[in-house]
Amino acid sequence: MSESDLYTALVTSLPSSERLFVAKQPPLSRLRLNKRLSTLSREDAQTLTLVERLLSWSEYDMADDIGTVIARTKTALRDIGQPTLRTIIEERMELRTAVAALRMRNRGDTAPTGNWGYGRWTQHIAGNWTDPTFRLDASMPWLRQTQALMDRKDPLELERHLLEVTFRQLQRHAARHQFDFEAVVIYVLKWNIFDRWAQSNSEAAARRFADLSLDALRDFPDLILEGEAQ
Amino acid sequence: MTEFVIALGWLGIFAPMALGAVASSIGCSIAGQASIGAMLETEGGYGRFVGISAFPSTFVIYGIVIMFTLNREVTATNAGGLFGIGLLAGIALLYCGIWQGRACAAAINASKEKPEIFGLALAPAAIIEGFGVFAFVFALVVSAGIPA
Repeated sequence: MSESDLYTALVTSLPSSERLFVAKQPPLSRLRLNKRLSTLSREDAQTLTLVERLLSWSEYDMADDIGTVIARTKTALRDIGQPTLRTIIEERMELRTAVAALRMRNRGDTAPTGNWGYGRWTQHIAGNWTDPTFRLDASMPWLRQTQALMDRKDPLELERHLLEVTFRQLQRHAARHQFDFEAVVIYVLKWNIFDRWAQSNSEAAARRFADLSLDALRDFPDLILEGEAQ
Repeated sequence: MTEFVIALGWLGIFAPMALGAVASSIGCSIAGQASIGAMLETEGGYGRFVGISAFPSTFVIYGIVIMFTLNREVTATNAGGLFGIGLLAGIALLYCGIWQGRACAAAINASKEKPEIFGLALAPAAIIEGFGVFAFVFALVVSAGIPA
């Protein structure tokens, strides 16, 4: 029996990932998911944590420079043995690089130079800075709609669009993995997308806004806010 | 040399039974693990899942029947035929059993979400069973030409 058959029971014990986005209530809480994942070997659990932490925004310090992020990604990729998982991480980092480039251009920045992003398209994007999609229509067909949503200043729709793109990338890889470790990791990453979507409520947005405001105001210690005691 | 050829003949007689047993055990194990997982996620219909898990057990039965059909006094004349038919039929049963187990696991995984596709989801497993039956039937047909 191949090693992949060991994951059969685990994969079938999870509700379908499509159901995650259809159900009003999440069919599987993080607590229950973790309980199911407890059957993974220690090595697999470590790899899963590594992948999740690498792709989760909350695991990044906003003060980190791009060099730190790239070094962290490269170190993690060396520790991950499964080619599919490495591809998933690289695709996600390239997606983030392309979206970051769109934001930089919208802000009025000129073409970046040096070590400014991750992946094979950094030089290409900088070289085609004025093109609406950086001449990446073939490899990143979703860029045009992303730019349109940025122009419309519709952050909620933009977030939904990017989550859909990410979900589609995972679906493409999931088609080749049914009962193996990669299938488990892909499921957890899809669950994370669902969770991020479900939790992007006003409360979380307000908290995030407060954090960002405090960060921005740290440079102005003498500033007195409205309602604050003098 | 004659002893070696005769040994191959005996190997051919027992191969379908042994490889059929391996096929059934692996196939049932894969489908069984899937049914256990599905039982954690569903509230009922457990019997169906266990039933599907037993699908690949037919391959050991085919192997036993082929073994009894091939079973005869092994001579230098018939050893080659026994070896060829027995071993290849066994390999065919082995692959059919393993892949039927995987097809059953996929059927269990799909039908736990949508019970209405239960019957249709079993079609791939049934088709694989058909291939196993081909190997079984034609092993019996061809073995009739092997001298006793």
